[in-house]
Amino acid sequence: MLLNRRNSGERWRVRPDGPGKVTGALAYLTDMDVPGALYALVLRSPHPHARIVSIHTEAARSLPGVAAVLTHADVPGLNRFGIARQDQPVFCEDRTRYVGDAVAAVAAETLALAGSALDLIEVEYEPLPIVGDPEQALLPEAPLLHPEGNILHSKSYRSGDAEAIFGQCAHVVEETYVTTRQMHAYMETEGGLFVPGPDGSLTVYAPTQHGFMDRLQLSRILAMPERRIRIVSSPIGGSFGGKDELNVQPYGSLLAMVTGRPVKIHNSRRESVRSGLKRHPMTIRMKTGTDESGRILAHRVRIVADTGPYATLGAEVLNFATEHVVSAYRFGSVDVESISVFTNNGMSGEFRGFGGNQAIFALEGQMDRLAEAVGMDPWEFRRLNMKAADEPGPFGQTIARTDGLAKVWAAAADSALWKERVHLDISENSDIISTSSATFDPKRGGGDLPLWKRTGIGAALVMHGAGLGYGIPDPSGGRLALRKDGKIEASFGFEECGQGLIATLEQMLVERFGFAAEDLRIVIGDSDAVPDSGSSTASRATSMMWKSLSLLQTPFTEKLLTEAANCCGLPVQRLRLGPGGIWDRESGERAIGYPALAERLAEPIVCEASTSYPVPDTDIVGAHYLYSYAAVVVKVEIDDLTGRIRVLRQFHAVAAGPVMNPQGYLGQIEGGSSMALGFALLEESTMAQGQYIANNFDTYLIPTIADLSGPVEVLAIEDLPDGDAYGPRGVGEIGSVGLAAAIASAVRNAAGIFIHRLPIDPALLQEVMPIGQWAVMSDER
Amino acid sequence: MQMSDAVGFSASTPTVWRPRHAEEAYRLKKQFGHDAAYVSGGTLLRTQWENGSPVPGHLIDLSSAAEWKEAGADNGTFAIGAQTTLSACRSDPQLQALYPLIVEASRSIAAPSIRNLATIGGNVSSGVGDSLPALLVYEAQLDWYDDGGERTESLEDWLRRMQDGTAQTDSLLLRVRLPLESANLDPSENLSENPSLTADPAHSFAYYAKIGRRDSFVPSAVTTALTGTIDGSGRLRRVRLAAGGGKTIPRRYPEAEARLEGKAADDRSVHLLHAILMASYTPAPDPFLSDEYRKRTAANVAASHLWRAISEFAHGKEGERCC
Ligand SMILES: Cc1cc2nc3c(=O)[nH]c(=O)nc-3n(C[C@H](O)[C@H](O)[C@H](O)COP(=O)(O)OP(=O)(O)OC[C@H]3O[C@@H](n4cnc5c(N)ncnc54)[C@H](O)[C@@H]3O)c2cc1C
Repeated sequence: MLLNRRNSGERWRVRPDGPGKVTGALAYLTDMDVPGALYALVLRSPHPHARIVSIHTEAARSLPGVAAVLTHADVPGLNRFGIARQDQPVFCEDRTRYVGDAVAAVAAETLALAGSALDLIEVEYEPLPIVGDPEQALLPEAPLLHPEGNILHSKSYRSGDAEAIFGQCAHVVEETYVTTRQMHAYMETEGGLFVPGPDGSLTVYAPTQHGFMDRLQLSRILAMPERRIRIVSSPIGGSFGGKDELNVQPYGSLLAMVTGRPVKIHNSRRESVRSGLKRHPMTIRMKTGTDESGRILAHRVRIVADTGPYATLGAEVLNFATEHVVSAYRFGSVDVESISVFTNNGMSGEFRGFGGNQAIFALEGQMDRLAEAVGMDPWEFRRLNMKAADEPGPFGQTIARTDGLAKVWAAAADSALWKERVHLDISENSDIISTSSATFDPKRGGGDLPLWKRTGIGAALVMHGAGLGYGIPDPSGGRLALRKDGKIEASFGFEECGQGLIATLEQMLVERFGFAAEDLRIVIGDSDAVPDSGSSTASRATSMMWKSLSLLQTPFTEKLLTEAANCCGLPVQRLRLGPGGIWDRESGERAIGYPALAERLAEPIVCEASTSYPVPDTDIVGAHYLYSYAAVVVKVEIDDLTGRIRVLRQFHAVAAGPVMNPQGYLGQIEGGSSMALGFALLEESTMAQGQYIANNFDTYLIPTIADLSGPVEVLAIEDLPDGDAYGPRGVGEIGSVGLAAAIASAVRNAAGIFIHRLPIDPALLQEVMPIGQWAVMSDER
Repeated sequence: MQMSDAVGFSASTPTVWRPRHAEEAYRLKKQFGHDAAYVSGGTLLRTQWENGSPVPGHLIDLSSAAEWKEAGADNGTFAIGAQTTLSACRSDPQLQALYPLIVEASRSIAAPSIRNLATIGGNVSSGVGDSLPALLVYEAQLDWYDDGGERTESLEDWLRRMQDGTAQTDSLLLRVRLPLESANLDPSENLSENPSLTADPAHSFAYYAKIGRRDSFVPSAVTTALTGTIDGSGRLRRVRLAAGGGKTIPRRYPEAEARLEGKAADDRSVHLLHAILMASYTPAPDPFLSDEYRKRTAANVAASHLWRAISEFAHGKEGERCC
């Protein structure tokens, strides 16, 4: 179904958190204030790589109005953090490894005083040679950034003997693909409010994608039991993976515990750019060969990722990229070796798409090149090499069967955009037309376009794994209750970071149970009030809510109906759940309202479910079991004068199981594709000598509405095989994956240039004197 | 200074002065020298402070001087007060009729909320504002206030002195003047209203373009403006070309203008314009776009302006006129 308001009918609902967000009335956690709060700032290293000779804080400490100045010496517990591996210093002891590294933090009565205190902290650094490039970091003479070496992680996957088979290939394509450091660019920068309790407890109001993980990490740092730490973590002004890892929480927490006073901290955009995570820049070298007929026989891939100074989820991102450079094609033999390398550049980490964006850009680029080498239509070429529904996953693992891949392929082939391309390609190659006018080019000018504008259409195919993958604990669960006040309370340990989780949960409760929205209270993002559902990452939250609700449906319904039957003296079979209360099937009347029922109960009705994200039966860490599929077709326009690209139209076919919330689904694909458009055309956090060149949105350019003005059609393919037990697959990331590759493909179609680096450099597409060939007037006129 | 009320005294926050007259503002600037800055909308200053420039101890807020907010005909010129906001420029019907490129330039700068504060005076004083190429092709004059009282100087001269580093830094800009003879009095445009003019097929043209790394709300990489006329015999007359962009101080291109004068409006003129800009447009360094790219962009875009003018003329003005 084409997702839009009209086709969605009553399922198109007003988002519960929408009005507050649109009007600005909603307070984010970084908007919170309490009387008597101190203001905190963090002193970060000006050097990408340096030895710390000495730190003197006396002058700062003695400044009136300064409540505390902390360094590594003041951390009671583990002076390290990291979701997967705790190697990032809370405060550096003797060495800094990037410009975001923290050396000290202060809390003062005002922000200005905190700033003055920072100026008074004397740190003597001895700059060390900068490792600014992962390839350089791998050289034997490179300085070691960690005692174990400069390699964070390597991953390989091999099947068959690719190297030997290249010799038998009729066509071999080799290319190096380069992607750069993209910033999440969330509206709300990192920050929060940290409130110590009189009993030695701590409440943290700070955005994160996984409150329980923050609680665990903070308990290690503070040397405090987890139960004394409460994390309130929603609503969040955007995260996209960027706030899953700890950021300023250690500083706010330590300062609050030391001073015994509430502490407020909020990164400026510059601090956020400097210290925050970015998408991993990757260099992906591919060599792929086919036989005469276009069947792929061998695929060799080498990935080098720049992970920056510390681990966070660098290893997991690399695993994901390794899996997705293979994706859904039937390669005769595969040989992938990937490596994630420490450098003194900015921190790389989790980012929507999780390594798939880079992998698919490279893989789909390779498909287009091979198709041309073979002399085939690129989309047909893909079909020839696509796996069938019952074939194993990228790592040879068993995966949940769906026909998603074939269906998105067919939907794209059938789309008006792709048909337009096929038609134009035919007319371009047709002799009849090209002899009629020496300068005729069906892709140039025409309609409202001046002659220096060319258009082209391209497409890309995407397979995207969801969940954390094999080998990483991935539990989840949720709770339903009828509370004393008569509200049906749904509690999940997920976060609302703008993706529409609350809206989707509400819609599932309304549609599955028959409740009215007013009957419900949704509780998320508070570690004292919710069960641990796992992280709101990896496109997993909707699947896990769906799974939990399906586990809860029978027990919770039965309990409600049994209690209602007791109260009303009616047989259970006559009752059903409905809006406002329990209804009598026979009379069609409401038998008892939820509040009335709650009042009659001695104890609230509570049901909990626990589950975990499905994984394949394999021993390959990171291998996925559930996948979503997408095909993206895009039409672009290139301006020869400037080489700049404009995206005119997009078509996305997405196969991810049933649509839980049409507005949310559409929003995820549109929003994801907007980020992909930035990744393809604009966004690059360039670093020179370990320093960011663009420190704010005046020079780090994300797309504006003017760049996103073209129509975006989203076709949701909902079919799942009979008996599928997994329901909706995630759509949180997949919209952000394929567009860059499709744009590159469209550029090839329009301008005959293969793109191997993102963002696309306009200089590559700019023509010298593009109007020269279009005579307007000459002496012959 | 008795007329000024100073607000906000503190060690770290600057003193804000609110002079009501040019003389007073200038005196304050002289008195505090480098430790003072004129502030109009404050929008450019704000970005500079964000990027680490020191905030001076004294801010001379020019917004209290109503006399500099007016736009209108004055003494054979059209005067725009320095305090006129870009939003006001954008929607001024007289400017739209007479100097449409200024309206177009105003529209291309920043975003609506910023244009509500940002002034034409601040844009000009920056030396690199995107209004400058448009003002240059209209041969704008600047009214300054400094030691000798009020004086007028051509924008072109002032920008040349900015480039040389010989422009006075304390002078106060009062208004921008546009000569009425450079206004857009396109004879062909009057055709419908005045049939008696049909005998004269001369065609006036005016184009402006701002090119950045994205479509809107973006610092310019290259900004160009081109005006001129194609006379009844198909010859180019009074072509005026200006280009700037980014940190590049905009200037006119007299060599191109002179060599195009009287030339046939045809492909060769388009090529000539392109070649001259390729050879002479020298962009200031930019960390994101190469010099070569920006040179080509300036030449391509300016050449496309002329191409449009010629093709409009050739096709009896069917084409749209825009960047
Ligand atoms: C997000 C953003 C985007 C922007 N985009 C653009 C853009 O696309 N194009 C562009 O050209 N600019 C842009 N700017 C810069 C700025 O907004 C404009 O140049 C604006 O016109 C400056 O006017 P102002 O009144 O705010 O100047 P101010 O910031 O008040 O002053 C600018 C400079 O001129 C001096 N000055 C001001 N008035 C006078 C006077 N009367 N006499 C002498 N000196 C004076 C000031 O001391 C200062 O040095 C942008 C700014 C921001 C914040």
